[in-house]
Amino acid sequence: MSAQAESSKADADDRVFKRDLLASLPNLRAFAVSLTGRHDKADDLVQDTIMKAWANQKSFTAGTNMRAWLFTILRNEFYSQMRKRGREVQDSDGLFSERFSVHPEQYGRLDLQDFREALDKLPEDQREAIVLVGAAGFAYEEAAEICGCAVGTIKSRVSRARTRLQELLGVSGESDYGPDAGDAAITARAFGS
Amino acid sequence: MSEDTRKKQDMTTAQPSQIKPGTIAPNASISRKLKEFYDAVQEEGIPDRFLDLLERLEAAEQAQKANAKAVDAK
Repeated sequence: MSAQAESSKADADDRVFKRDLLASLPNLRAFAVSLTGRHDKADDLVQDTIMKAWANQKSFTAGTNMRAWLFTILRNEFYSQMRKRGREVQDSDGLFSERFSVHPEQYGRLDLQDFREALDKLPEDQREAIVLVGAAGFAYEEAAEICGCAVGTIKSRVSRARTRLQELLGVSGESDYGPDAGDAAITARAFGS
Repeated sequence: MSEDTRKKQDMTTAQPSQIKPGTIAPNASISRKLKEFYDAVQEEGIPDRFLDLLERLEAAEQAQKANAKAVDAK
């Protein structure tokens, strides 16, 4: 390949890299919010991830899974920052007032507030597993790669996360089998309380 | 106790011990809520600070390339 052809291929890879990075950002940011539980911390984490990804562009193989690569960087960054800071004491009241002050309209539904609260109560490993597989759109295999563990480990974490969320949210099977009007009202109250 | 009353009491006083883990329906409801929560964040779009950051990174890269070319030309 001539030097010129090489440089134009590099330019094309460059453009693809930037385009894919941009396209991945909303999903990456939602993952960061799930991990940190806060928008401000999540955005700092995403910013660090963008910088890292940019600096390591060369180590990304064009044509491979950019999203998985970015999620891996963000996750590593999250845990290394956590280790550095030590575990912060969680003030869940402050946490939630901060969240709702940022985008109050989006969390107006009480059952979604409860859900966020329940998600925060999960151990980190279970939370990231259920978010990667259940929301971010990764296969078990990809999630295992991102978390650096076995596929079976991810599966069992997801299953434990589901069980725990069911317990925390008090979801009972009956509410989902075609509730009648009376049941629906009670379900709404149960979630709202 | 009628079937209806019993059902309603179950709903309002559900304790972890009464929940049957692994049943399909609650899983569906958990999955739906997780998706709703996650999608709500995704739909917020990309904050300006990230677009600004990408522009600055790109500008720095262009400047670096231009520099490298100037050095090559010498």
